[in-house]
Amino acid sequence: MLGLHLSSVEVAYPGLAAPVLRIPDLDIPAGARVAVTGPSGSGKSTLVNIVTGLAPPGSGCVLWDGTDIARLPEGARDRWRGANIGLVMQDFHLFPGLSALENVLLPARLSRVADTAMKDRARTLLAEVGLDRPGQPVETMSRGEMQRVAVARALLRAPGVIVADEPTASLDPENGAAIGALLIDLAHRSGATLIVVSHDSRLTARLDRVLSLSGGEILSDSGCEGARQ
Amino acid sequence: MIHFVLADLKRFRLGSAVIVLLIALAVALGTTVTLQERALRLGSARASEKFDLIVGAPGSATQLVLSSVFLQPAALPLMPGDTLVALTEDPRVAWAAPIGFGDFVAGFPVIGTTTTLIEMTTTGFAEGRAFAAEGEAVIGSAVDLALGDTLVPTHGKQAEGGHAHAGIAYRVTGRLDPTGTPWDRAVLVPIQAVWHVHGLGHEAHDGHDHEAEGHDEEAHDADGHDEEDHAHAHAAGEDHAESHAENHGDDHGDADHDDHDSHDAPAFDPDAPLDETWAAGEAPGLPAILVKPRSIADAYRLRQDYRATGDTLAVFPAEVLTGLYAMLGDAKRVLVAVAVGAQTLVAAALLLVTVIQVGQRRRQIGALRAFGTPRGAVFGIVWLELALLFGTGILLGLGLGFAATEGLSRAFAAERGFPLPVAFAPGDLLGFGLLVLGAAGLSAVPAWLAYRQPPAAALRD
Ligand SMILES: Nc1ncnc2c1ncn2[C@@H]1O[C@H](COP(=O)(O)OP(=O)(O)OP(=O)(O)O)[C@@H](O)[C@H]1O
Ligand SMILES: [Mg+2]
Repeated sequence: MLGLHLSSVEVAYPGLAAPVLRIPDLDIPAGARVAVTGPSGSGKSTLVNIVTGLAPPGSGCVLWDGTDIARLPEGARDRWRGANIGLVMQDFHLFPGLSALENVLLPARLSRVADTAMKDRARTLLAEVGLDRPGQPVETMSRGEMQRVAVARALLRAPGVIVADEPTASLDPENGAAIGALLIDLAHRSGATLIVVSHDSRLTARLDRVLSLSGGEILSDSGCEGARQ
Repeated sequence: MIHFVLADLKRFRLGSAVIVLLIALAVALGTTVTLQERALRLGSARASEKFDLIVGAPGSATQLVLSSVFLQPAALPLMPGDTLVALTEDPRVAWAAPIGFGDFVAGFPVIGTTTTLIEMTTTGFAEGRAFAAEGEAVIGSAVDLALGDTLVPTHGKQAEGGHAHAGIAYRVTGRLDPTGTPWDRAVLVPIQAVWHVHGLGHEAHDGHDHEAEGHDEEAHDADGHDEEDHAHAHAAGEDHAESHAENHGDDHGDADHDDHDSHDAPAFDPDAPLDETWAAGEAPGLPAILVKPRSIADAYRLRQDYRATGDTLAVFPAEVLTGLYAMLGDAKRVLVAVAVGAQTLVAAALLLVTVIQVGQRRRQIGALRAFGTPRGAVFGIVWLELALLFGTGILLGLGLGFAATEGLSRAFAAERGFPLPVAFAPGDLLGFGLLVLGAAGLSAVPAWLAYRQPPAAALRD
């Protein structure tokens, strides 16, 4: 539901000749479903860090519906990310010792925004991703189940944007396909903007637009026009 | 948050337990030192409470106090018995009572004294009554005997080669209320009995202590006290036989005073009536006299006078103890320094461990941030986790230290007969507060590192 506009974004590290990410101008309209591909080291994760506010770019603007998160102080950026971005990563980053339900609720609880409605929503989400034992400790779950919990966690606060960095890379093809389908389906239902970094062509093929990165620059943008519906 | 912290601690329960244990031991060390020193102070202060002024023969003031207040067996020199007469008649003295040592019953010291001392230094009788005849005895609350028991004293502890006084037996007529002092372990008999048992106050009468050993054993069996009873707990190797030897020496010197008495030599007669008044020249030599002065000024004047005579020594037990406390204080300071050193080492080791751990948890902390957890909450989690470990360790350490001190005090009470009261004082609150503050501050270091850590770390390895 949020639209992104990047302008003259550059990320460089001292000692490196070229910037690891350089995007003069990029628009991702609200509700778009975008795949990001590219060889290893091409800057995909760096892009994810920039658009989610995990790291500020060295220069440039990162505008989400008019809010330049590159200019927000760190605390405000954390708050903004918590409220607007649902993150799914290759590693599930679940916390052992807690149940599936507790894992889904953990970030909201630590941000002091969890209420009864949110707890109900957490249960519903777990059911929607296909888990029927919300009390199961996560360390006893299969990898596919773990990633489902992570997907439910990402969606808990009904974020306007869902960002996934290689969500299927550590899963077997079957589970990968299921998770991919889940992400697309849930994003579609909530109307959230979806950005998925993936090498998995079966997954990227199902998205409206594919950005190819190479050496930190956008090599091609398949749906540049088509995505604007 | 607390839920997450507890889950996390549970995951690392072994490490957490080790950390808690380390903290607990370090804290227990400090607690024990502080409490034990205080217990010794309180216990000895209570033991000497009723002992305003003690007069004895010249020698070690400390030994005089240790022997009369704490009933530590020792060879004390004797002073002339007339000292007692003079003190009793002194207008500055409220009362004065002799204290005679040397004999034991079943490992308990037999103290020759007067009904005055019993009346003035105890709260009364738990059962029975005071001695009214030469052969009667009163027992302290911790003496493991019963009313009506017949006691055969041995000269010196039997386990150390003491021998029985044949033909001598006391009958227990009363048991005193507990006083919380070493005197709870004493068997109190009339001083005249002690004199007579040892053949003092008249011409030589030394046959009594060379009786056949067989008789000795028999007497004990009749008493119902087995040999183990005598043998236990006397391994300390104290020496007190000399006290008697000196008694004899003095005895002969004194003999010429007692010439008028020499025909019906006052041998021990259990039915002889109690006689607690002595005329000049009548009383034999004595190791110690407890004196209750009428006023503080009198106390100082008396001490002055009885120091000056040359054949007596007068001490305020409180003063002697203050000197001992000063030494105790020095020892405590050393031990406290050792304890603080141990605590600092533990704290430093923990700081190292926790800082490393925060480094190892970069991914976890980064992930929390990535999913929108505020930095403050991340700080709180790391801090709370450590603070919980510290808090548990500190509380456990206090409990452990308290228990250890209690244990030591119990062992001491069993050995020495008087309890060392173990108690926390209001002043401990300051030390406790500092400890808690230090722990809170220490926990903040890794928490601050976690706070400063960029969230993007979660996406890297
Ligand atoms: N902190 C850093 N310091 C120096 N170089 C960095 C740093 N972070 C990333 N890079 C470099 O930036 C480039 C892009 O990294 P990035 O993680 O975005 O690649 P990626 O496209 O996600 O690769 P992969 O598919 O393997 O995940 C890499 O060459 C990497 O070495
Ligand atoms: Mg990557």
